[in-house]
Amino acid sequence: MTDPLILGIETSCDETGVAVLEGLTVRSFVLASQIEEHARFGGVVPEVAARAHVEAIRPLVHQAVTGAGIHPDQLDAIAVTRGPGLIGALMVGYAFGKALAWTLGKPLYGIDHMEGHLYAPRLEYAAYEPPAIVLLASGGHSEIIHVRAWGDYSTLGTTIDDAAGEAFDKLARFMGLGYPGGPVIDAEAENGNPDAVRFPRALRDRPFDFSFSGLKTSVVTYLEKAKREGTLPSRPDVAASIQEAIVDALVEKTFNAVDETGVTVVGGGGGVLANRRLRVRLREEADRRGIDLFIPSIRMCTDNGAMIAAVAIDRMKNGGAPDGWSFDVDPGMRLDS
Amino acid sequence: MKILAIETATPASSVALGDGGTLAAMSVRVDRRGHVGFLVPAIEFCFEQTGWDRHDVEAVAVDVGPGPFTGIRAGIATAQAFAAGVGAPLIPISSLTVQALRAATGHRRIWSVVDMRRGQVAAAPFRPLPGGVAPDGTAEVVGPDEFRAMLDADQADTLVVGDWQALPEAMWGGLHRVRLGRPRYPSADVMLEIAAIRAAHGDFTAAEDVRPDYMREPDVQINWKTFRSEGVWP
Ligand SMILES: [Zn+2]
Repeated sequence: MTDPLILGIETSCDETGVAVLEGLTVRSFVLASQIEEHARFGGVVPEVAARAHVEAIRPLVHQAVTGAGIHPDQLDAIAVTRGPGLIGALMVGYAFGKALAWTLGKPLYGIDHMEGHLYAPRLEYAAYEPPAIVLLASGGHSEIIHVRAWGDYSTLGTTIDDAAGEAFDKLARFMGLGYPGGPVIDAEAENGNPDAVRFPRALRDRPFDFSFSGLKTSVVTYLEKAKREGTLPSRPDVAASIQEAIVDALVEKTFNAVDETGVTVVGGGGGVLANRRLRVRLREEADRRGIDLFIPSIRMCTDNGAMIAAVAIDRMKNGGAPDGWSFDVDPGMRLDS
Repeated sequence: MKILAIETATPASSVALGDGGTLAAMSVRVDRRGHVGFLVPAIEFCFEQTGWDRHDVEAVAVDVGPGPFTGIRAGIATAQAFAAGVGAPLIPISSLTVQALRAATGHRRIWSVVDMRRGQVAAAPFRPLPGGVAPDGTAEVVGPDEFRAMLDADQADTLVVGDWQALPEAMWGGLHRVRLGRPRYPSADVMLEIAAIRAAHGDFTAAEDVRPDYMREPDVQINWKTFRSEGVWP
């Protein structure tokens, strides 16, 4: 049997992502990021996101299909993110994908966005296979997931307040660095000393969970006091110290989960995994323990259509039922089986 | 010419198939939510009823609002995907026009309104013509006081159609020239009539220009106090 051709569509948050896969080979990959639209608000605004998706979806699907060098009739299936995410944003992609699938007479697979992230490293690393621990961190999620097998997951850890990306956004805003927080702090920290200030790491009693609100408070308190006392370090030093605190928490909890489960494979996904310091620290820790680490390229870490299509390949192979035509989006979709 | 019409701009969603403006099949549902669950089964139902093939459709008409935003987007995304799938052109239609056309009777000037929530409606005037209506002014988003003032200033005998029940009952007091009437919502069968005329003139719209007519900026609550960049560093 030849590899199936799958169109993948992702619109759960602030990226319109569309791709065509032939098996696990990426035939085309297009993305419209809305960072500019949301930058002036300092965060993702759901109505702004939905408006941008409805403008982008048709031309992006067109681009992905022509870019793959195929005719839409050649597609074997259409995969679309069904949840979790922003309801108005999800609706645009799901309505488009569903109507296109019905019109072309193809099966429609509604995909869990988080499962898409779990599959993403598979598109770049043939050796990436469960059982694995996967760290998912972005503006919308911070989770540690135990992938026992494809389709068999349990969420070991999550955040009890802000997502990691949200923490970066809020702290960057407070430091006057702009939006989005992850990349601007990463850049500012480049020439900073990560040991300049020791910010708290917290949640010692919950080995797999995150909390970033304490860090936020302590940064604000620290900076106000240092300014009053005239002991303010340079902004790169503070940025590097903040980044180190967030990265420390993400790395520590991820490897706590590795120790707990005894897996030898670690994966990652979500926009925060684009952070250079985090990638270095995960690599050091994995090498030190002899763990196989699979962190995809930055384009595959952030939300995209290819990772959504990747999940559908397995679903088809295992004879999974396509979505019914009366299905709606599921903004509160849960990964755990 | 066979046309598919999709209407999701208000709480009443409907889908219709027609030929040259004549209705062949229609599916209707009144529900504020669930447009995405309704649309494809409704389209499928219409094709089953008519026995037509989806490739028989030569144009796709879609209501682009004004109206509640999420429904409009679901309708437009569905229409664009169907149109792309069969290679048919698109015909965007205003919900205000659809309501006005259904209301067209006699001599009264028509004010067509759509509930925009938060106490406001989108309102536009239309003039009845033999066999149709013509826009007679621009559409605006107004509250009850502004709309009352517009009706007071209008010297003509007037028929208000659409979801006028969204406005407070008290605002109609003493408006002797004004009558309240139907329809309450736009519907896809009326869209077929409009679309057939436009299609006969080759009056199609490029797919990239078919977008929601929001008539309102997105709701964004910016907390300027926390948003302002803090001047810790000089
Ligand atoms: Zn994501």
